[in-house]
Amino acid sequence: MINFFIGLGFLILTIVLYFFSKKIYSIIPSPVTLPIMITSFTLVMFLIWTDIPYSTYMLGGQWIDHLLGPLVVALALPLFRQRHLIKQYATVIFTGILIGSLVGILSGVFLTLLSGFDDSIIAAIASKSVTTPVALSISDTVGASMSLTAVFVMIAGIGGAMFGPVMWKIGGIKHPIARGLGIGTASHAIGTAKALEDSELAGAVSALSMTISSVIVSMIVPGLLPFLL
Amino acid sequence: MMKFIKIILQISVLFLFNLIGETIQSFFHLTIPGSIIGMLLFFVLLVTKVIPEKLIKDGIDLLIKDMPLFFIPVTVGVIEFLDFFKGKGSFILFITFISTMVVILTTSFIADKLLQKEVGTK
Repeated sequence: MINFFIGLGFLILTIVLYFFSKKIYSIIPSPVTLPIMITSFTLVMFLIWTDIPYSTYMLGGQWIDHLLGPLVVALALPLFRQRHLIKQYATVIFTGILIGSLVGILSGVFLTLLSGFDDSIIAAIASKSVTTPVALSISDTVGASMSLTAVFVMIAGIGGAMFGPVMWKIGGIKHPIARGLGIGTASHAIGTAKALEDSELAGAVSALSMTISSVIVSMIVPGLLPFLL
Repeated sequence: MMKFIKIILQISVLFLFNLIGETIQSFFHLTIPGSIIGMLLFFVLLVTKVIPEKLIKDGIDLLIKDMPLFFIPVTVGVIEFLDFFKGKGSFILFITFISTMVVILTTSFIADKLLQKEVGTK
């Protein structure tokens, strides 16, 4: 019974902090003031300061496990809304995303492998370019740490949103479809927010790229990892 | 009150498709997550208009708008890896960043070249 109230307390604290962080983000919008960043950082600091173990906090956080799958299913709706764009540029979209997804998986896995990290960490980095619910589902399937996965996904997102435009400059990439494909495949929803600032078309392409790449990565990673590790 | 029930029912559709996906996955012993199978199935039924968008959109849009909220508890779990990130682990953040940059550059570059070719042939 006491556990129920502790869980409920942390649940309410998390929700209140999240909506407060959204207010902060609306005043200072930046990839580093994203509500998930501010809320997670505040909660980590709070747990360290009060010396409360993560397992106690998670009494209220367990509900996420039951929502993960349905959240992945929800991604079908935004993808459905972009179906005309997918049809029109099918070859470019699928070639670009397939190559980009493979480059993301292989570069992440090989660089960590060469640096001598454990298999569980390598498995977590393999799905870093895809949107959080899918990355967590993949990590759940391959037995990687979900928390590490969430952190790698966040870095891929924030890194891409901050330095993606620099990469477009270096590569001389001007076409909004090419820009959206790159940032959506590498940096999921956080990158998509940045692509939307560039142009509406880049944002739309980035949004569909993040969903299509997450399907491709979830098909490749569980099958490929046993051969690499 | 009616709106609230409608939203709950619309979100329940997502649970149903996830369940169908997971059933298919375990039945055929597939390695792809069941939720992805459910998502693809849902997508096909939307495209073929078996499920009209109007019928399900409000609840799903509401859920997608605040999706990051659901990932906070698992992200806070980084607290158990603080020692890892203080040491050698910090290097992995650098690897994540570099790999992300390479993905943006290659994907955008290939797409750009393909788009130029497409314009050229038309």
